[in-house]
Amino acid sequence: MAVRLSFVPQPVCVVKVLFVKRNALVFVVLVGAIIGMLAAGKYLDRARKHGPLKMVGDVKGVQAPDFDLATLDGRRVKLSDFRGKAVLLNFWATWCPPCKIEMPWFVDLQKQYGKDGLVVLGVAMDDTEPPKIAEFAQEMGVNYQVLLGTDQISDDYGNVQYLPTTFYVDRNGIIVDKAAGLFSREEIENDIKKILASSHNFAAPQTSRASVGNTLAPPPKDTP
Amino acid sequence: MTKRAATAAVVFFLATLGLAQAPGGKQSYVVMAPVGNVQLRAGASTSVEMDFRIGSEFHINSHHPKADYLIPTVLKLNAPEQLTVADVKYPAGEDMAFAFAPNDKLSVYSGDFTINAVLKAPANAAAGSYPVKGELRFQACDHSACYPPRSIPVQFQVTVVKR
Repeated sequence: MAVRLSFVPQPVCVVKVLFVKRNALVFVVLVGAIIGMLAAGKYLDRARKHGPLKMVGDVKGVQAPDFDLATLDGRRVKLSDFRGKAVLLNFWATWCPPCKIEMPWFVDLQKQYGKDGLVVLGVAMDDTEPPKIAEFAQEMGVNYQVLLGTDQISDDYGNVQYLPTTFYVDRNGIIVDKAAGLFSREEIENDIKKILASSHNFAAPQTSRASVGNTLAPPPKDTP
Repeated sequence: MTKRAATAAVVFFLATLGLAQAPGGKQSYVVMAPVGNVQLRAGASTSVEMDFRIGSEFHINSHHPKADYLIPTVLKLNAPEQLTVADVKYPAGEDMAFAFAPNDKLSVYSGDFTINAVLKAPANAAAGSYPVKGELRFQACDHSACYPPRSIPVQFQVTVVKR
């Protein structure tokens, strides 16, 4: 290198070296940027896969926030109305195909376990007019109460954006489990059995309006 | 590779990071590549291609989903007075079945897709550069759940030149 450069006039030699150095610098910066972006993608992907598990853990054992929502026929319903019952609180929407899969299961499970104290509540998160939601629910043969969701209940239950999301609330108003996304009927039934198994403690505190944390997350369990 | 394709590739690459946001963040399930400056002669029409990319885990309903209860993908453009949006051409959806309903195929877009808008300028249109703004409304799902409908802004510049 030194020998070859000795044949080149000094100013040209300096320019050449600077040019080579600049290209090398650009190359290093580019490679560094690409590696950085790949590392960031890997980190974010890992955060998405493993972040929600902690959130779900946080939700279990938390007092379910109380709510006061309108039904499709204009009545008002509170979660605290069902103290002593096991409540399956299902967030859904008419535009959500996976939600549609679950609905016939909830119909059957309400029939099967209603006598044991199960109450299925469907919270419709549509912007659609209530009559359209009612028509959809009727087509699906829904036999449980459908409530009109609000931003408030979404926030209280951790910004519910991922539908379906179901909270299993025991007879004392405690969240026993949360399922984000579609799960098998068997898994749903197992969670129902868990909340039905709880015994009502009359001294248990009333449900509160406290938030259960951010639950905007991919499913915590393997999906079917 | 044309300059436009190269720009789109870079933007899509960077957008992939945006699509991979951590839970809790506001996810952009769909991103749009920038549209280069569109030239249109007064009295003529031109087709503008808009390229979109959907995050790898997601799909969105096509413009013609298979059921009334599903929310279609719709592009709304507001053209200035000097221009007219004559037509919007959507790609055909792909019939796909998902784990949540293996026997029930849905008409969806996934990966990359392109929407074409036909713009017209009247013969007496004044020469100049005009912004066309609008939004793409869509509703995304992944393999086991769905997200509320969202909109992303759409914007490009059209330069009208004299005949």
